[in-house]
Amino acid sequence: MQQNMTFKVLLSSCRIIELCHQFPHGITDQVIQNDMPHMEAQQRAVAINRLLSMGQLDLLRSSTGLLYRIKDSQNASKMKGSDNQEKLVYQIIEDAGNKGIWSRDIRYKSNLPLTEINKILKNLESKKLIKAVKSVAASKKKVYMLYNLQPDRSVTGGAWYSDQDFESEFVEVLNQQCFKFLQSKAEAARDSKQNPMIQRNSSFASSHEVWKYICELGISKVELSMEDIETILNTLIYDGKVEMTIIAAKEGTVGSVDGQMRLYRAVSPLIQPTGLVRTPCGLCPVFDDCHEGGEISPSNCIYMTEWLEF
Amino acid sequence: MTQAELRLCSLLLREHFGEIVEKVGNSLLRTGPRPLRLLVGDTGLLLDQVKKALCVLIQHNLVRYEVQPRGSVEYEAQSKRILRLLRYPRYIYTAKTLYGDPGELLVEELLLHGHLPMSCAVARVADRLTETMEDGKTMDYTEVSSTFVRLADTHFIQRCPIVAESPRNTKAPPPPAPALAIAEKDMYTVPRLSLIGKGKRRHSCDEEEEGEHKAKRQKQEGGSSETPPDDGIYWQVNLERFHQHFRDQALVSAVASRMDQTSSEVVRTMLRMSEVTTASGASHTQPLSSNEIFRSLPAGYNIGKQVLDQYLALLADDPLEFVGKSGDSGGGTYTVNLHKALVSLATATLESIVEERFGSRCARIFRLLLRKKHLEQKQVEDFAMIPAKEAKDMLYRMLSENLVSLQEIPKTPDHAPSRTFYLYTVNVMAAARMLLHRCYKSVANLMERRQYEMRENKRLLEKSQRVEAILASMQATGAEAAQLHEVEEMITGPERQQLENLKRNVNKIDASENQVDETIFVLESFIESTMKRP
Repeated sequence: MQQNMTFKVLLSSCRIIELCHQFPHGITDQVIQNDMPHMEAQQRAVAINRLLSMGQLDLLRSSTGLLYRIKDSQNASKMKGSDNQEKLVYQIIEDAGNKGIWSRDIRYKSNLPLTEINKILKNLESKKLIKAVKSVAASKKKVYMLYNLQPDRSVTGGAWYSDQDFESEFVEVLNQQCFKFLQSKAEAARDSKQNPMIQRNSSFASSHEVWKYICELGISKVELSMEDIETILNTLIYDGKVEMTIIAAKEGTVGSVDGQMRLYRAVSPLIQPTGLVRTPCGLCPVFDDCHEGGEISPSNCIYMTEWLEF
Repeated sequence: MTQAELRLCSLLLREHFGEIVEKVGNSLLRTGPRPLRLLVGDTGLLLDQVKKALCVLIQHNLVRYEVQPRGSVEYEAQSKRILRLLRYPRYIYTAKTLYGDPGELLVEELLLHGHLPMSCAVARVADRLTETMEDGKTMDYTEVSSTFVRLADTHFIQRCPIVAESPRNTKAPPPPAPALAIAEKDMYTVPRLSLIGKGKRRHSCDEEEEGEHKAKRQKQEGGSSETPPDDGIYWQVNLERFHQHFRDQALVSAVASRMDQTSSEVVRTMLRMSEVTTASGASHTQPLSSNEIFRSLPAGYNIGKQVLDQYLALLADDPLEFVGKSGDSGGGTYTVNLHKALVSLATATLESIVEERFGSRCARIFRLLLRKKHLEQKQVEDFAMIPAKEAKDMLYRMLSENLVSLQEIPKTPDHAPSRTFYLYTVNVMAAARMLLHRCYKSVANLMERRQYEMRENKRLLEKSQRVEAILASMQATGAEAAQLHEVEEMITGPERQQLENLKRNVNKIDASENQVDETIFVLESFIESTMKRP
């Protein structure tokens, strides 16, 4: 009798799975009942429970009642052998999507103790289901996300970071290229010798133009947006080589953002290097220790001696 | 009065006036205003010496005197004025560029003597110019006096305050020290003198000339027994005017480098027109209409009115904000914003100092902080696009030099470091003062080094001077070439080389003192202009 029962349960489980395959969106209890009218409710429940515990069925709640859906076979094989806690954690990480989620947040959401979480995370990582991505904002923080997802820009830092490393040479190269472009534009404007208004206006370049130029140059492997170029141009402003004005532009003109356009122009420095730095004293590292009659004094200053022999 | 200023003042006094004056000056600088008796006691010199030293200092406007209510007279040293001793070469050079040789020598004579009457100054300058001219030519007084008048008209020199004419009251005793005053309108009026004469040479080889000169000399001596026609009217150099001129020069060159030559000419014209109408401490010049500017442009620049208007509009729009538009009458009125210009020049000086000392990346962070005022460390890294480690290192270095300071903003009442915001900021005034102090110390160092070099080679210098004296006397008495050659041989080759080196080094140090003085000028003007603003 017992054997009969298990055999029947097996049969009904297979039948239910077939039904699920027929209706990939999910089947209700009613559908199973219609299919196998001779099965008792208890048997049905046993079969469904068995399938659920094996991880082949997904239990969903819908407006009409409970739905059973066939689980993705690939996923099913992955989660075989994992227990419920791991499944829960996995689901939380899946929900976080692109941005990933920090371990402390997982703890809050799942209410599991820290040690358990750590064990589960290690387990999942070794199964290659999730991965840890180091956040560029806080270098010690690790966010977890699904293995095959591409981490979001805010986590990796965007175009300037490759593998969590700030690419300073790349920034330098871009810096110089932008500056050269603006400089040649200013020179061309100056040589044109037209009236000053036109000269000045033609020496300006909008951020859109610079962006196009850099894209065409092709020195960047990564796709750069206009905001990236604007940050580079800002560094040039802080170098004192470039000045910026904002003008109102009609909506729809190329490169305008919210009715404004930023124009950049190369400029030469305001003054020559000032007098103080042309003497040894201006750059002396031991300036504060220098006194007449002391170990370091103007009379025996080696920097001055070298400078005088120059 | 910082330590560095004191040191520099005493070095300058010693170099220009000698040790006794230096002692007196030092004592006055360190202890403030004091009467004569205390001064004598302090310095330990004789009363006579102290009196003479004070005379010298007052003559040169380095010390002021004031009658106290109790009746004693107190003397006060003007440290700012003493520091101007460093700038004398620049004043003389400016006068040379503007008014040629007569102007240069006039300013030099006035600076060296402190106060001089006009007739005296003109006579001296004419003599000196005649010395340098070829045989047979002399310098006429009229040319020199016309230069003098021009200098006075443009306010480069001014009359010294004179004793006020008070009604002689026999009952009241005369005040212990005369009160000097001069009316504003009299300051630049040149007295009507008819100075006729020519410059004299010291040695004249020409017989005819000698006869003529002898006669003139007698006449002149006869004339000197009477008081010269402008007795009591003394002239001094107006340093403020020269400073205005330097400031204008710096402005114009900044505009030229940032924009183009023509714009700088326009600005120069505007400044020239406001030279005598603007008070020296004003933050704006008077408004000038575009028509006026067009009329006053120098003859060489024939740009049309339209083009001028465009240049003015460009200047007014420029982010530098040196020129501002103040109205539309007369084709648009424009003013030069002097205070802003000084601020820009001073910040450019600060930036260049940071750049040369710490590198261009540090300069980038510095400029970033100047623009954005307050930033957190993370934001500094983001805006400047510099890797975190390097940015941190640079910020800490600048912090240790006090160019950059930290502002704490606590989140909790206990200022726990983990819960506090730390913002970096640049305090421009403090940084400017600190660098000014550094400039003073640098100049003092350079001067000491120069004196050290001279002391080291004293023996050699004396020897070369003796040889030169012998040579000159032998030439005068007509010696043969062989003898001259023998005397020249007294200085050996290596010694000659050493002398050459010494001369080159001293010149180099001198030049760099002047360069540091330029920085001092910019920073001082900036600090002064900022303090004056309400």
